[in-house]
Amino acid sequence: MEWKRLRRKFAKNPLNLISVVVFALFLAMAFFPQIFTQFEPNRMNSAVRMISPTASHIFGTDQFGRDIYSRVVHGVRETLSIAFLSIVLACVLGTALGVISGFYGRWIDQIVMRLMDAMFAFPTIILALFIIALYGASQKNLIIALGIVYTPIFTRTVRGSTISIKQFLYIKAAKALGKRDLSIMLKDVLPNLTSVLIVSFTTNFSTAVLSEASLSFLGLGVPPPTPTLGGMVGQGSNFLLSAPWIALFPGLFIALIVLSINIIGDGLRDVLDPRY
Amino acid sequence: MKKSLLFLLVLTVFFSFCFGARAGGDLKFAVQVEPAGFDPNLATAFGSHRLLEHVYEGLLSFNENMDIVPGLAESFEVPEPTKIVFHLRKNVLFHDGTPFTAEDVLYTFKRIQDPAFASPAASYYTEVSSITAPDPYTVVFTLKVPMVNSLLLNFAGVNSAIVCKKTVESGVNMQLQTNGTGPFKLKEYAAGNYIALQKNERYYVPGLPLLDSLTFVVIPEEISRSSALRNADVQMAQIMEPLSLNTFPAQRFVTYRVSTLPYLLLGINNAAKPFDNVLVRRALSYAINREELVEMVAFGEGTVTGPLNPSLKTWALLPEAFDEYSYNPEKAKALLKEAGYPNGFSFEAVTYAQYSLDKIGEAIQAQLALVGIQMKVDVAEFGIFVKRWREIDFQTFLSLNGGSTEPDIQFYRTFKSDGATNKFNFKNAKVDELLEKGRQALDLEERVEIYRALQRLLVEENPFLFLYSPNNLYVSLPEVKGFVPMSNQSLIMLKKTWLDK
Amino acid sequence: MIATYIFGRVLSAVPTILILTFIVFLAIHLVPGDYIDIMLGTQNYLTDEQLSGLYKQYGLDKPFVVQYGIWLKNLITFNFGTSLRTGQKVSAMILEKLPVTFELAFFALFFSLVFGIPLGITSAVKRNRFGDYVVRVLGLIGLSAPTFWIGAILIVAVSGLFQDYTLFGFVSFQKDMAKNLQILLIPSLTLGLMLAAQIMRMARSSMLDVLSQEYVKVAKAKGVSTWKVIYRHALKNAMIPVITTAGIQFGYLMGGTILIENMFALPGLGRLLLQSVNQRDYPVIQGVVLFTGVFIVLMNILVDILYTLIDPRIDLR
Repeated sequence: MEWKRLRRKFAKNPLNLISVVVFALFLAMAFFPQIFTQFEPNRMNSAVRMISPTASHIFGTDQFGRDIYSRVVHGVRETLSIAFLSIVLACVLGTALGVISGFYGRWIDQIVMRLMDAMFAFPTIILALFIIALYGASQKNLIIALGIVYTPIFTRTVRGSTISIKQFLYIKAAKALGKRDLSIMLKDVLPNLTSVLIVSFTTNFSTAVLSEASLSFLGLGVPPPTPTLGGMVGQGSNFLLSAPWIALFPGLFIALIVLSINIIGDGLRDVLDPRY
Repeated sequence: MKKSLLFLLVLTVFFSFCFGARAGGDLKFAVQVEPAGFDPNLATAFGSHRLLEHVYEGLLSFNENMDIVPGLAESFEVPEPTKIVFHLRKNVLFHDGTPFTAEDVLYTFKRIQDPAFASPAASYYTEVSSITAPDPYTVVFTLKVPMVNSLLLNFAGVNSAIVCKKTVESGVNMQLQTNGTGPFKLKEYAAGNYIALQKNERYYVPGLPLLDSLTFVVIPEEISRSSALRNADVQMAQIMEPLSLNTFPAQRFVTYRVSTLPYLLLGINNAAKPFDNVLVRRALSYAINREELVEMVAFGEGTVTGPLNPSLKTWALLPEAFDEYSYNPEKAKALLKEAGYPNGFSFEAVTYAQYSLDKIGEAIQAQLALVGIQMKVDVAEFGIFVKRWREIDFQTFLSLNGGSTEPDIQFYRTFKSDGATNKFNFKNAKVDELLEKGRQALDLEERVEIYRALQRLLVEENPFLFLYSPNNLYVSLPEVKGFVPMSNQSLIMLKKTWLDK
Repeated sequence: MIATYIFGRVLSAVPTILILTFIVFLAIHLVPGDYIDIMLGTQNYLTDEQLSGLYKQYGLDKPFVVQYGIWLKNLITFNFGTSLRTGQKVSAMILEKLPVTFELAFFALFFSLVFGIPLGITSAVKRNRFGDYVVRVLGLIGLSAPTFWIGAILIVAVSGLFQDYTLFGFVSFQKDMAKNLQILLIPSLTLGLMLAAQIMRMARSSMLDVLSQEYVKVAKAKGVSTWKVIYRHALKNAMIPVITTAGIQFGYLMGGTILIENMFALPGLGRLLLQSVNQRDYPVIQGVVLFTGVFIVLMNILVDILYTLIDPRIDLR
């Protein structure tokens, strides 16, 4: 019943609807890239190098004769999965730390929060370099690196909400009844965090897409030939004057993905936040 | 055809210098990397070398054709096979006015040879038994081994440049301050921004340098560097991505290109399976299409090279002379079958994101896939790469090696079983023997024979694969005159460059 | 009261900063390839004896905990060490780059506020009407595209359209004000665009928040015009979260914006950090991280204090 009302409220805004459709399209690309493309993303072809957009190669080709459109579509898959999984990781870690910190307070809170403060100021590039250096450049390690970067953001948000939830009468009652801490945290605190987490998740999901792009641009991304949107912009940016299509289209796709997630995020917040 | 035109272009540029060179002008030159430290006897960074070669000078120098010419020594003689006598110039002043004498030369080489100082040049002079100065303007090098031929080149390198004894002994930090004899003086270093050089009014070559000032503007991104030139924020720029040349029309810009000595290579750990089998290494050579690499990655701006750069006409065997350097996937498959890998194999190549190495990796990856070999490319951060290289922690790697006009320098430390940069686990008694013979032989014809035999052997054995030498590219506004790029990537011809305004 | 508060906050920041510098030190030392490796590259002709001499010379032969101890000890006397790479003093290097990054951050913030606040308010007042949609999509585009991509496109566009425009060759504000501002305009606009979107979102939601408050409704019911209500009552309260965001963003910007500084060849802290990480110039890395860490923490404290000045109801604790 509640969900139905929220859904109607969300759908009232045409912008939200458009964004959902756009994002769904990207998701479809991520899950079934073959449907959208006719070329192998990594197939080189010296006969069609560096051609500008035409009917058969709608986004043109790169210096190896690879079809940019196919690479962009497959890049969506890589980029989205890296961003999504890293935020899932950050969300799980951050929620755990945030709930514990907010629930127990005192010295546990102090330790966790000082650690998070330190991580806030920790340069992302050093962290990414560190993880990739120790375990090699791969999709998995990029996810871990970004996951750690985003953990303090979730920790802070969740901790704040936990502290206010703790004041609710029924939590105090549960405590008085001798319910175990873990059970209170899981059954009573966590469900109340849902809306906060949904909003936080979408906002950070979109920035994670951009972070993946930045790290790939700095050469700390997924190894070749796997295409990622950020990596493609990075490799193509040298050609921005001589063959602009190579960097323009992947960049545009990043912008569209992030834009649609952002609008959905705003829409969700409007709906979920009782103040609106 | 294309090359002879290029040569003509370079020649025209060169001659235009002879007619109507005019002094004056302030040149701004956009470069990609900046220097790291100013001590010529210590510097290893490319950026430091490109700066310090204008500030300091060695006993010898190169001309635009890479011939050895006098530097701070106006002449030298080789009275016996183990002795070099340098006659120094008499009216040379350091930038602070201190006269240059043999004292400074002795001091510089003592500094280089001091193990605690750890100069990268120290290894060049390990076979030097004594350095003496019979008078203030003569220096005599005595060698343990008759290897004058290969030693001479080192005297023209930045790491062997002469420093001022008085200045170094005064205790100043030579990484921060300079006092050389070169055509330009260091005026200002704004880290991360620019390095400004100023004309040395008392330079010993009359009339040089022509420019009043020379400023290297550091712009790391290619797109920014070419935009800076386009808008005349700088008058000249180094171009790293060959395709960028398309954006500089010939009516409004001058392009300089030179085939360089450094070469790209696929390094192989000869002790690691399956590369311990020479047939496998040979199969790799047949399976890689070098011409296609040059075309795809460098847009034709490179030269396929064998063990020696094809431009070294005296010494080099051209790549066409080697069957192993022709592209022949069928042969590669046959060799793989013979070696016991009929279905190919998979391996990893570690590299780093410079000199388009990541793109070369991608292209080779696709080429090898056609003969059933799966290559995984690990684009590591440079520091990580160097550590793995140093510890031979790789199956193969992709990198750029410095090249030389002298075969002994090109080969000895790379292929000698105990060579300093033999990180290939390559040990071959025949190669070692030829290397020693070539180093000590005095007769040119004899040396040529030795090094030709060595080249053939190296291609047969394929301890690693030579790929190609990339061209160095520069673009300037038309008012920049007299610049000649050099194959060792040196920019010393900027001393003969002027602005025609 | 406020003095004790500040004192407490600053004091509690000390362990944070220490943890930060220690983890950074640990992390960068665990990454394979040290300063000597990178300095010598693959043209390493040194003997083992020479190599160990080099490590000793740079003090890299000691265990890393000892190296950190030495760094801490020197820190007490405000000695930040010298760069391994250039031999310059770390403090001098940071002070040299600081004005560049400060200016960049300042102008970026300026642009973001100038664009972000009015757009956010408009969007809130015209909520769920066409104007709101246009403003939001436009604003969010700034937040959505990668800054280095926008930066590169702007470089190409500006240098293509305005042949005389100086984009490169940074000069300091004191040396040549006009040129300095001209060079910084595009990069700070690029950054500001991204920030403006965040500011806009913040302004929109806090404005909506305030507009739903009783006292605003009452004022409206009394017949005060909407814009007057906004100006007189809503604006001030809606600004608190905006200032927080701006303040925290400023702190981050001071950490240097690696990609933008690299793209526009600006000699700022971000590029210094990138360079010293690439070269494993340990003292410089430590110095930059320490400096930006302190700055970020101080900025957070300052934001909290500003809170109280704008809205005395907020209790500092």
